[in-house]
Amino acid sequence: MNEPLSIVSERVGAAAQPVRHARPPRAEEDAGERRYRRLLHRLPIALVQIDARPLAAVLGALRSDGETDLSACLEARDELVRTVRQIMYVTDANQAAATLFGAATADALVRPIDFLFQVAPEAARRMMIACFEGKRRHVELMKVRKLDGRVIDVELTVTFPVPPEQLDMTLLTFEDVTDRLRTEAQLRQLQADYSHATRIATLGELASSIAHEVNQPLAAIAMNAETSLRWLSRDDPNLAKVADLTARVADSAHRASEIVHRIRAMAARDVPERGPLHLNEVVREALLFVHHDIEARAIDLSLDLAAGLPRVMGDRVQLQQVIVNFLVNGLQAIGQGNAGRGRIEIGTALDEKGAVGLFVRDDGPGIDPENLDRVFDGFFTTKKDGVGIGLAICQSIVAAHGGRIVAANHPDGGARFSFALAPAAD
Amino acid sequence: MPVIAVLDDDAAMRDALRDLLQVAGFTAIPYAGAQAFLADFAPGRFDLLVTDLRMPELGGVELLRRLRAMGANLPAIVVTSSSGPQTKAQALREGALACLTKPVPGDVLLRCIGSALDRG
Repeated sequence: MNEPLSIVSERVGAAAQPVRHARPPRAEEDAGERRYRRLLHRLPIALVQIDARPLAAVLGALRSDGETDLSACLEARDELVRTVRQIMYVTDANQAAATLFGAATADALVRPIDFLFQVAPEAARRMMIACFEGKRRHVELMKVRKLDGRVIDVELTVTFPVPPEQLDMTLLTFEDVTDRLRTEAQLRQLQADYSHATRIATLGELASSIAHEVNQPLAAIAMNAETSLRWLSRDDPNLAKVADLTARVADSAHRASEIVHRIRAMAARDVPERGPLHLNEVVREALLFVHHDIEARAIDLSLDLAAGLPRVMGDRVQLQQVIVNFLVNGLQAIGQGNAGRGRIEIGTALDEKGAVGLFVRDDGPGIDPENLDRVFDGFFTTKKDGVGIGLAICQSIVAAHGGRIVAANHPDGGARFSFALAPAAD
Repeated sequence: MPVIAVLDDDAAMRDALRDLLQVAGFTAIPYAGAQAFLADFAPGRFDLLVTDLRMPELGGVELLRRLRAMGANLPAIVVTSSSGPQTKAQALREGALACLTKPVPGDVLLRCIGSALDRG
């Protein structure tokens, strides 16, 4: 195995040394150089100038050795990254950088770049790869350790100058994104809370339907058990009958427990779990929640599920929630006056772009055209006692799945809600 | 042996009713819906009807109304799960002898059936 680094240090010579303003100042450069330093020091963003020439030398040596896939090479030769972190120096830094890293003065940051990558060594590797591939800029979110030991989240931007001889002026900016990330995490939590709240609210609205779904198998169990006792208490117990009845008791118990399990999943969990799903199955499960309301109100349900659909990547409970919301909206729309006979169509299909689509259409009064753009806004509602969270949650769930959600009025009347998701890569 | 028609859209419930009636010594003929039952109906064929109220296609109340309109004179007992008091009252107005709520204890149902058959 060759030793490119020893070659490197010979070739780059003085450039590897930690000398500030390494190049001898020349008269014509002086004024521009001074203006540049003033600007660098006054900028309110944390700026660090590093001398990337040793890196360029290492990469050049690797390239002349025939290396083309740096990513794989660095995977195998971890020590290269460590060495580069030692031989590259911060040559200048501004006050904002000193503040960000908690240094007393900007000069305290003039040292090997190693300290920048202590928490996130893989960021150094990616920076090297970007340089190797001739990229001008490299941006990534990373963690850095301040001099007092605290770790913060930053967005790193590396700008490599194009002419290789200016690589000693490679600029790194660091933006403290700790607050931004915390805010984003809070927003996600808030969204999860809302999502959870709407699920509970939806379940509340469906309480009688759910009670019926659970009561039905329980009633069958009770009756079958009594019938078994009657067979057993006869003078000639019919054991074959009892065996048959006991098997049916078990079936109904499983059915009841499956229903309870689904309800609990809908009510309790709010950490999404992604996996490949058959959308048609999700539709059938969602129907379980509203099945009874649909029947009790003698609503004409038409189910048109396309066969052979590819699976989609998604969270079963969240997608169920979207479909249940569509269905509940449809049921409520049908309740508003007697616009239609009470009909809900639900269907799945592969659309022209290869996405797996679902739609729910009702024959209620439809959506006021003025409101079409706003139905997915949080807190927008036209219902007397609605809170308007339902469709907003649907939209954020579908968006989180990389899909599209659409509200429209059907030309023949009634509202039509739909979403489409990309098929799961197999 | 009295013949009893059993109507419930839920298969497990329908089978449970059929078997209970069987062990009590009746002949039970199960139907998944009112349409299927009406297609099979002939005067004198059944001695009693045990029916659910909430069923797709044709509900129990409407079925009782139709039976009355055709002068069927078939005693009926309703066994239902979550129908509201209004629907139950409607069923009683349409001639149902009793409205029982699931889960129905077997002896209660059999007692109702016994007195309905005595009356008929």
